[in-house]
Amino acid sequence: MNQRWRQPDGMSRRHFLSHLAAATMAGPAAQLVGALEAQAAAGIRPPKRCIMLWMGGGPSHLDTWDLKPESEKNGGEFRPIETSVPGIQICEHLPTVARQMKHLSIVRSLNSREGNHDRGTYVMHTGYMPTPTIVHPSFGSICSYELGYKAGEDFPLPHFISINGPGEGAGFLGMAHAPFYVQNPTAPIANLRPPGGIEEFRLGRRLGMLGVLEDNFRLQNRGQAAADHKAVYQKTVKMMNSQYTQAFNLESEPPAVRDAYGRHSFGQGCLMARKLVEMGVTFVEVHLNGWDNHNDIFDTLRTGNLPQLDQGLGTLIEDLAVRGLLDTTLVVWMGEFGRTPRINQNAGRDHWPNGWSVVLGGAGLKGGRVVGATDRDGVEIVDRELHVPDLIATMAHAMGIDLSTQYTTPNGRPFKIVDGGQPIAELI
Amino acid sequence: MRKPAAYGLVVSGLIVVASAWGQEPAESPGGSVLPSFAAGEVPSRLEYIDELLRAAWEEAGIKPSPICTDAEFLRRAYLDLLGRIPNVEEARAFLGGGKERDPGRRAKLIENLLAHPDYAKNMATIFANTLVGRRPRGDQVDREALVGWLRTQFATNRSWKDVAWDLLTATGSNREQGAVNFALAHFADEKVNLTAATTRVFLGLQIQCTQCHDHPSNDWKQQDFWGINAFFRGTRSRPVEVIDASGAVVRNGTEVYDEPTDAWARFEKRNAVVGVVPPTYLDGRRIDPGPEVVRRVELAKLITEPTNDQFAKAFVNRIWGHLLGRGIVHPVDDFGDHNPPSHPELIERLAVDFRASGYDVKALIRWITASEAYHVSSRMTKSNEKDDVLFSHYPLKPMSPEQLFDSLITATAAHRTAGGDSERRRSEWLRQFVVTFDNDEAGETSSFQGTIPQALMMMNGELMAKAVSGEPGSFLAHVLDESRLQRRVPPVRYAVEMLYLASLSRLPTPQELRWASNLFATNPDTLAVLQDLFWALLNSNEFVLNK
Repeated sequence: MNQRWRQPDGMSRRHFLSHLAAATMAGPAAQLVGALEAQAAAGIRPPKRCIMLWMGGGPSHLDTWDLKPESEKNGGEFRPIETSVPGIQICEHLPTVARQMKHLSIVRSLNSREGNHDRGTYVMHTGYMPTPTIVHPSFGSICSYELGYKAGEDFPLPHFISINGPGEGAGFLGMAHAPFYVQNPTAPIANLRPPGGIEEFRLGRRLGMLGVLEDNFRLQNRGQAAADHKAVYQKTVKMMNSQYTQAFNLESEPPAVRDAYGRHSFGQGCLMARKLVEMGVTFVEVHLNGWDNHNDIFDTLRTGNLPQLDQGLGTLIEDLAVRGLLDTTLVVWMGEFGRTPRINQNAGRDHWPNGWSVVLGGAGLKGGRVVGATDRDGVEIVDRELHVPDLIATMAHAMGIDLSTQYTTPNGRPFKIVDGGQPIAELI
Repeated sequence: MRKPAAYGLVVSGLIVVASAWGQEPAESPGGSVLPSFAAGEVPSRLEYIDELLRAAWEEAGIKPSPICTDAEFLRRAYLDLLGRIPNVEEARAFLGGGKERDPGRRAKLIENLLAHPDYAKNMATIFANTLVGRRPRGDQVDREALVGWLRTQFATNRSWKDVAWDLLTATGSNREQGAVNFALAHFADEKVNLTAATTRVFLGLQIQCTQCHDHPSNDWKQQDFWGINAFFRGTRSRPVEVIDASGAVVRNGTEVYDEPTDAWARFEKRNAVVGVVPPTYLDGRRIDPGPEVVRRVELAKLITEPTNDQFAKAFVNRIWGHLLGRGIVHPVDDFGDHNPPSHPELIERLAVDFRASGYDVKALIRWITASEAYHVSSRMTKSNEKDDVLFSHYPLKPMSPEQLFDSLITATAAHRTAGGDSERRRSEWLRQFVVTFDNDEAGETSSFQGTIPQALMMMNGELMAKAVSGEPGSFLAHVLDESRLQRRVPPVRYAVEMLYLASLSRLPTPQELRWASNLFATNPDTLAVLQDLFWALLNSNEFVLNK
């Protein structure tokens, strides 16, 4: 594994670019050494990263990963196609992903038990049902805490970044591990620069004054919060001044790369996610919304989400693999639930948590596998029923987080990061 | 006011009630043992609060911090009662007056604030956040209707018992009857969440773990949870449909109603045996499970009846926690043997007197704000810097998103700057603030839980840019005009004093004045330096922390 890390990154990058018929990697980002590369150069085994692709609205597993061509009533309009893994078929509108199937595995038997949007979103992000007295941390926040924060304070970017959607919060882990929200990957980060007219001299003067005021108050011995406030501002200023924020700037990427990911917010979000994990960010969530297809599901998916998903996910996996990042980067595709096998009178499908699909790959998980199955009509799970804690346990395992990790909540109760699940044996 | 001796009786009587609670139906011991303030005789302070606090300090061998300055008290009281800092006129009105200061000025300030329109607004915000959260996870919650309803309750100082009654029993449209939104916000999962929220908010008891198993560290049993849950079996909601001008049927909110039922709650035990339980209160009392009773009304009776001291304790503790940063039982909604109070007698006696006052919310606030704990400085001493639980020094309390936003607007008048509809701009900024600063767990911790996006918004955001722009309509523009009109002190010094007063609710110290005048001496662009100083003051820890 170390051997692969030591491989000069530039080689694989050029290979990737040539594949995309681009000439060279130009622009300022080329000079910037990311944390991963620096660690690789130093021979340090790099920590794991995760990119989670969130399909907001509840994606139809029957029209993506678990097609039912033999079911007359539930099959729908799409045909399955072969993938790079013999025996695994996916939707015909995901040809780019099909070529990367050897890196990805499909779990076709998840029963997540929650068919309400908000609650399903919560469960899939945290592994827990919502309760009114405790806010559970999302898995991204746990990764930020376990792998980012505990590894040291020096990193200038947040360790949990969510693109195109706000993501779920950190709960009792505290706001330092809540997702940093990038609303639009092609626009500048909100408030990252001082407003117009405030040049470097003015900002420096402001920060100088602020430093005096903060220290005066901090030295009055009124409590830790005064020092904590100063620390957050220092971290923020460090980020504002950091070269690492170039990872947020897609303009430095060759047009051919941006085209390959797809010129839509999901594709560009996937590209930003790759740049961020390359820079050392621990967890990046990229949202693709519009999956709540109660009406006209086939036309909607054929012309919208499926081609976008295909470009974004397919290119991301290829890019990560070529750069040698896939070995340490977990990629997960999920949403709040699947959709009903039955096609309703509006040519749509409704909410279905009882047996649906998620996709995982990278970070040492086995690719090219299918785990579990639903029946011919997609109604019943016929093999290997799995639950959300099993999925979270698998993700934690891949990320190298000890499954027995436990926290004490602010009201003194024990909280396990994995609530009773087991890593999916077929994938590890 | 009652003599202290009277409370001895009260307390012993109360202990009888408390020990009976949970086993036998608690009965009022004759009624006469419990104190009751005659109408108009509710005291404005309770001496025993300080006596009990001091006794605990002595026992721990610590001394409280000195009494805080008037400026500190002013800011504290405004933030806690009105949800914002004072503006410069309000600050001057309280801090002026020279040497002949009225010794009752702090109590008068509290009285003025309790009568201020922003008091009800602030309380409504706090309780809406407690009851349904900032962004309710339900499709049918009309949070604004709930806020409006709460505002009326607090403005008229309606008895907490009556407010709770309505929240527990309300029926009707979520748009017209704001109180129903509490139930609606927690409807999911066969009212599991409503069960947990009801006991948490109104009784300070966290029984939600017992949804699935008996409690490991206290006496709650799974049956207790489902016994309360059974009270909600008949509670239903349905869309309200109206016919609009074109004759079409359109949805207009959601209605909550109670349907007659004789159903029991069913639950699965750990050993997979299914249990059933009729509506049963936590002390084992059962109500008639037949269809002729409205179960939520029966539950409201059990929760709010005078012998249920837990109802009063829960509210007293919540308000204590709001004002002093930490409950006597902490977290404020987690009473039980596993989590003993820091001052057991104090919570008992305050609960008795709160009930005796007729559950008078403003009286309770008067009592707590009159106590020494609310007047000690947040500067810790060698003697008390290790203490976190005995209220020997005031805690640093990070502002809530609403407090921060309203305080920024109060200090800067940023929304009045030129260019657009000030109310529209104000609500857009508020939305950004709530999204950026919301942290459901903020009330659970005294540490500062700031984030990078929050700091970025404070440093570089549009609101801050407008706030320090000096554009016409803003506070800074006003200060610049005033500084030239007044003749008392040099214009720059006047402006610096006003910026400190507007942001930190105090005047600069002589040392700070010297520091500031040096800034102006070395930088000729006075407006730019004032902008930068105001920016630094508003971004400082001293601004965002209630001290």
